[in-house]
Amino acid sequence: MSVSPESYVALSAVLFFIGVVGVIARRNPLIMLMSIELLFNAANLALVAYARAWVNNAGHIFAFLVITVAAAEAAIGLAIVMMTFRTSPHVDVDEVAALKG
Amino acid sequence: MLYLVWLLPLFGAVLLWAFGPQLKSWGGPIGSALIGVAFVATVVLWPDATAQGGMHVPLASWLPGWTFGLQLDRLSLIWSLIITGVGFLIHVYSIGYMDGDRAFSRFFAYMNFFVFAMLTLVLSDNLIGLLIGWGLVGLASYFLIGFWFERPTAVSAARKAFVMNVVGDVGIMFAIFIIVRDLGSIAYSDIFVRFAISGSFSPHDMFLVCLGLFIGAAAKSAQIPLHTWLPDAMEGPTPVSALIHAATMVTAGVYLIARFAPMWSASPDAQELVGVIGGLTALAGAILGCAQWDIKRILAYSTMSQIGYMIMGVGVGAYDAGVFHFLTHAFFKAQLFLGAGIVIHALANEQDVRRMGGLRKQLPFAFVAMLVGVLAISGVPGLSGFFSKDAVVYGALATGHPWLYAVGVITAGITAYYMFRLLFVTFFGAYRGSVDPSDLGIRHPELAGVSASSGHHPEEEEPHHHAPSWLMSVPVAILIVPSILIGWLDAGPNGPWKQFFAGFFPRVPEAANLPLSEVLSTALVFVVVAVGFAVAYWRYGAPAALRDAIARLRGETIRMHAVLVNAYYFDAAYEMLLVRPAYALGRFIDNFLDPHVIDAGVRETAWSAQWLGHLFRSFQTGLVRVYALSIALGVAGFVAYYAIAFGAGR
Amino acid sequence: MIAFWILAVLMIASAVFTVTAKKPVYSVLGLLVNFVALAATYLTLQAEFLAVMQIVVYSGAILILFVFVIALLSSGVRPFEVGPDRAPRILIPAVILALIALAGIAVSALRVPVAAHTGVPAGTTGEAAAFGSVADFGVALFTTNLLPFEVTAFILMVAVIGVVLIAGDEGPSGIVRRKKRRSIERESIVKREPLVR
Repeated sequence: MSVSPESYVALSAVLFFIGVVGVIARRNPLIMLMSIELLFNAANLALVAYARAWVNNAGHIFAFLVITVAAAEAAIGLAIVMMTFRTSPHVDVDEVAALKG
Repeated sequence: MLYLVWLLPLFGAVLLWAFGPQLKSWGGPIGSALIGVAFVATVVLWPDATAQGGMHVPLASWLPGWTFGLQLDRLSLIWSLIITGVGFLIHVYSIGYMDGDRAFSRFFAYMNFFVFAMLTLVLSDNLIGLLIGWGLVGLASYFLIGFWFERPTAVSAARKAFVMNVVGDVGIMFAIFIIVRDLGSIAYSDIFVRFAISGSFSPHDMFLVCLGLFIGAAAKSAQIPLHTWLPDAMEGPTPVSALIHAATMVTAGVYLIARFAPMWSASPDAQELVGVIGGLTALAGAILGCAQWDIKRILAYSTMSQIGYMIMGVGVGAYDAGVFHFLTHAFFKAQLFLGAGIVIHALANEQDVRRMGGLRKQLPFAFVAMLVGVLAISGVPGLSGFFSKDAVVYGALATGHPWLYAVGVITAGITAYYMFRLLFVTFFGAYRGSVDPSDLGIRHPELAGVSASSGHHPEEEEPHHHAPSWLMSVPVAILIVPSILIGWLDAGPNGPWKQFFAGFFPRVPEAANLPLSEVLSTALVFVVVAVGFAVAYWRYGAPAALRDAIARLRGETIRMHAVLVNAYYFDAAYEMLLVRPAYALGRFIDNFLDPHVIDAGVRETAWSAQWLGHLFRSFQTGLVRVYALSIALGVAGFVAYYAIAFGAGR
Repeated sequence: MIAFWILAVLMIASAVFTVTAKKPVYSVLGLLVNFVALAATYLTLQAEFLAVMQIVVYSGAILILFVFVIALLSSGVRPFEVGPDRAPRILIPAVILALIALAGIAVSALRVPVAAHTGVPAGTTGEAAAFGSVADFGVALFTTNLLPFEVTAFILMVAVIGVVLIAGDEGPSGIVRRKKRRSIERESIVKREPLVR
């Protein structure tokens, strides 16, 4: 007995929810980046689930591209974190407020 | 050739304006010579102008079918001859009069500019050109009245003249609007042809056109109630008064009405209005002339009065009589002003006749010139004024305006009175220049028009009666000839003048049974003039009057009625009705509208921009998480929209 | 079906753990569990290649990267310290907004039913039971989607260069600093020269 695509989408939505809360609520930049990875994965799950439902592997291609971009994002994000917090006493995004108007 | 007439004065003006300082004393002769050439050219053009339909030179096309051009017909020929001819004589006179003035060349530049403007006015073949010329002569008049701009009175007089003239310009402009709307053209030739064919004006529009034109004419020609600028305009140099404010510019209103004669003839209401205003102005100006002590102001009021005659003449439909009075007046009034200029020049800018007297012996030439002028203006038989004034006055009667006739006759008597008064007080008796002003009843010498003595001729400190230079006397001598003789052009029922304008103006039907024949009317006018002379002689010229002249003048000054001294309170009324409200409006705008509405609007705009900036600035916390929150807001909004808009459909 | 529910519970639990963990290292562990479970879910959805990619790229490369960064940042005397909270109540709007998004997705997903498929679907290659296979995926990737593939490759290359520049020896300002140092040295040389020869 197969699981309905709605269930996968619901699971994806829950994961997305957790990721959003993580990005906004946490102050550790590493955990924020990991939450972003969670968001990517949630989206990927939805894509793959719909690909299965519609029998169309475009969803797979999309998911693959997302994974690639996520890798690039993670690399650059981590580099920025390294740069930013190499000399600061705290590893805390609230410390970085140079954009304050 | 017509170009030459038109553009030579402009060339002179530009030349003298640009190179005045380099030309030094040559500026005057050059400017005069150019006007002289223009005069000769005009005379040469005489046959062309009197040919059928006049002379026409296209100039430029403005819009398809709307062309600018010059035209010289009989009417503009008369005006052009006066402008260039009398203008030339006055230019020559000015070389002597303005000698030594700091701005010698500038004066002639302005004078040439005026001649150019006036020629534009009379030579234009269309309404727009007329209006341009109309404005330009106003500008030239402004320049020349305010020529001695160091004097505050001159500046304010210039401003007053300009503003009043602009009132007239607006009137003409509205008339042009209506004409263009109803007849669809600006060229005289089209207008009058179409007007004659279709008569496409409603009576209402007809009256409005005439009213607009008359407002213009009244402003330029100093008719009541727009006359108050003319006496003040005497602040300008005397040759300017002679040329602009006596001979030419102020008669532009007469030209305008004569030019639009077909329309006036079609609008009896407007004719009535113009006739009444003209008669009223003639009378009022003459009465005010009796109450003045400034020699130039007396002449200014007499000018106003004489133009009243002309306007009355053209208003009642006696166009050729009105134009003829313009012609004779141009000569004898220019001569009077130039004679007065000799007196003023000799007395180092003294203008108050009370401080003159007995100048007959010192300035015999000026006396002769003034005497001829006075005789002419008073209408002594045989001189020019006699013929023209008689024609105008009788024209009023002939066209069925007995009241205007009566006014004209009475005014003739008053004219004789105040002109002889001027003559007696100035030239007879003993010289009073050394008498203490207060003994003559002059309370505020600096306010009574005596102020001019501090002025533009620094080298002439003490009054010494020096004879005028030949440059000044020759033009006056030349002017004496036409002043005496030109009237004979209109002698008899079918003189050269009537032939010249035969068929040019629309004919006004003569009233059926006239109470007086023309000969009787002439005799009546002569009697009235004689009475005026007799009164003047009795009061100012008789040996008894001359003996205690000082006491008499003092008494008259003190007793003079306030209404006359203040010129019927026209200026005061304008002050009350127009100037004060304008000031009040200005203060209202300054104190309320500007700071509390306009500035406030600007301030509020700036403030709201600042406030918005503060508002948006508070969003820029610099916290990454807050930015992330705003992204989440966008996501939530997008998803919610999608769920509601598309999800609900299935 | 049972597998799905087990995996779902596992994924949600590990995600929550990831987000709420005190230390980043714990988060990495939670994330690892999450990724592996996701890979398993991909298998149930007939996406074998993606499942492998998930393990290799995420669990392998990215998470190792995280671990390295954690190690680098906490290698000195500085532990992960947390300064003053600048946005203390941000959790509430975050949860509300995320809930709205969740509800929206749920509503959309439920209102737009997906046609239930029966039997074995056909893939791009046309062969039966080919959907999700590596061959099927490869054909799709290198034929119809070649351009996006190349663009992604390019993006990755740019990212690598960027990372080298940002996190390299001294960061982007390092170059400037080196230049300044050199100019200061030159200035001091000039100063040492005698003013008058």
